[in-house]
Amino acid sequence: MIDKMQKTVLRVNFISKGFSNVKAVNNISFAVEQGDIYAFLGPNGAGKTTTIRMLLDIIKPDSGNIEWNLNGKQNKVPNAEHIGYLPEERGLYLDIPILKSLVYMATIRGMEKAYAKKTALDWLERIGLADRAKEKLQVLSKGNQQKIQFVASILHKPEFVILDEPFSGLDPLNQELFIDFIKEINNQGTTILLSAHQMSLVEKVANKLFLINNGNEVYNGSLSGIYQLFGERIIIELQLEAPFNETTFQYLNGAESIDSIDDLRVKITFGQETNLKNVLHDLTKIEGICDITSHKPDLHEIFVQLVKKQ
Amino acid sequence: MIMKYLKQVITVTRWEFSRFYKPKNEALGLIIMIVTSVVFYFGGKYAFSDTDKKLEISVYMDMDAALTEFLSNHYIVKEIQKAEMAKLIELMRNEKVGVLLESDSKNFVVHAYKNTRAIKNLKTHLTEYHKQREMQKIGLSPDELTAVLSPAPVIESFVYTDNSGKRVVLSYFFAGLMIMAVFLSFAYQFTAITGEKQLKITEQIVSAISPQVWMDGKIFGITLTGISSMLTYAVLSIVGGMLFFQFTGLPASGILDYIYLPSIVIYLPFALVGILIWNAILAAIASIITDPNNSGKSSLMMLPLFFVIASFLITRDPDSGLSIFLSWFPLTSATSMPMRWAITEVGYWQLSGSFILLVLTFYFLRKLAAKIFRVSILITGKEPTFSEVYKLSKMT
Repeated sequence: MIDKMQKTVLRVNFISKGFSNVKAVNNISFAVEQGDIYAFLGPNGAGKTTTIRMLLDIIKPDSGNIEWNLNGKQNKVPNAEHIGYLPEERGLYLDIPILKSLVYMATIRGMEKAYAKKTALDWLERIGLADRAKEKLQVLSKGNQQKIQFVASILHKPEFVILDEPFSGLDPLNQELFIDFIKEINNQGTTILLSAHQMSLVEKVANKLFLINNGNEVYNGSLSGIYQLFGERIIIELQLEAPFNETTFQYLNGAESIDSIDDLRVKITFGQETNLKNVLHDLTKIEGICDITSHKPDLHEIFVQLVKKQ
Repeated sequence: MIMKYLKQVITVTRWEFSRFYKPKNEALGLIIMIVTSVVFYFGGKYAFSDTDKKLEISVYMDMDAALTEFLSNHYIVKEIQKAEMAKLIELMRNEKVGVLLESDSKNFVVHAYKNTRAIKNLKTHLTEYHKQREMQKIGLSPDELTAVLSPAPVIESFVYTDNSGKRVVLSYFFAGLMIMAVFLSFAYQFTAITGEKQLKITEQIVSAISPQVWMDGKIFGITLTGISSMLTYAVLSIVGGMLFFQFTGLPASGILDYIYLPSIVIYLPFALVGILIWNAILAAIASIITDPNNSGKSSLMMLPLFFVIASFLITRDPDSGLSIFLSWFPLTSATSMPMRWAITEVGYWQLSGSFILLVLTFYFLRKLAAKIFRVSILITGKEPTFSEVYKLSKMT
């Protein structure tokens, strides 16, 4: 049972889903609390979209269960009025005026037509497309179409919104804009489940995350927690004079992994207990290094290391 | 719960109706149809004006005077010498004009450049003349010939009398309108469902409403679109009928003889549920089509035509076993039962029984269509096969 005192709005208990011979999701569990921006991360084909479809009751899990607690009511299936969804496979009616489409999307989720129209116009104003409300979606640029699709998913002011790959196909400026939108609706009280594979963007907004790979849980916890657990490693990048040869570096103390970036660049990850001073001392003994840089691992690098370990 | 379902279905129905029913396009279509009809009517008159002119026929001076006189009523008859024949034939070859008629006691010989509509008319007149000549030979008067050729004077006395002639016209008219509505639905369902799939809207919609609401809204909305077009064309046909009566010298009110109210009261609900049934079937088929341009299942959308045409078999013998079956079978009864009712004796229990069966079929078909849709969205990346849909629908 969901504990209302902790304001857990979604609890997923040991769900699995298979298609033919492929186990798309394997026995995963997690909980999302009110106000979270919960990142659901993994590479393409990891099982993110399958999990989301199970959350929305579009498909049923083979085993396990899902509990929703929206608007003070506990349910196995989320009420459409209280949930918003931006699917990965998304689109809108291209040949219909933007405002009309937005109002329809909000009304099928239970919003009154007049209020939906007013809210849609407010949002269009906010994203700089108010003067194009009566134009057809097909005349907008791809970036602007995605803004409209985002608005369609949150227009009815849901308590919980699922954004599946919201940054896909966006240029860097629009990616930053979407991050601002996500922060804004979260500040207004909407809990967000954010599924993506662009980890550098996700770490800017999320407070909790679930890492998934091949349908299996890789990490489940807070964003700060993953840095505490895995972020104390040292990553050294070397620029070489001659093409990379792994045997040159295999005797370095504390090296967990040695990866070639290209012929003349190599990335070496050292364990948490490694002393940077000793590493640099060891590197001076190797000939042919023309540049050295070091940094703490970012979320993407942590994820890659975790998957390798798995 | 029911109120929420109804509210959502009404929202989707109104949306689908407003997406596809375009009064401007409808009006434009009507104007094009009227202009085309007018152009064809007057254009045809103009095109045939030459052939309607009196044809000049050359005959020899010694031809039967009675034939010459008979032909003079219809043609410009020019008497020529036999010596002029070669010259006339040469003229036919070079100028492609002229007709020469030869006649003896047995045969008529027609010379012309080619067989035209005017020559066919000439043959009709010659046949008429031939009949008269033969009658005179055996001493038969025209009245006596009419009596010989007329049907037996049977005076009919039935317990059940129908006055079905005009009602049948109305039932054909309704069947025609239904075919039109079903084919409009075919186009709209295709665009609505496969279009939404291709635009990737489906997943967003089904996260907001249940597949049943989505399917019901589509079926009702597009049926409404089809019926609106049907009504527009029905009104236009009535106006056209009135004009036809006016032009043919009959009173415009003559059309009212064909608009038999009890028939309309029966045809309308049958046609409505029939269109709903076909929309449910077409929606189910469209649900499993991913790419309409390359799908082999697209041809299934022509299925309604087969059943609607089958229902016309009723007119051959409305009381046969096949006709009774067609008037009860839900895929044909929407047109067959009203047709049978128009031309033979059908009890009200049959009418109501067939109608209830029709409604029940629609109720279950829309549920099946929603289930097929729900299952088909689970199969991603390729078009689902019938067996995959069947297996998954058994599992879910």
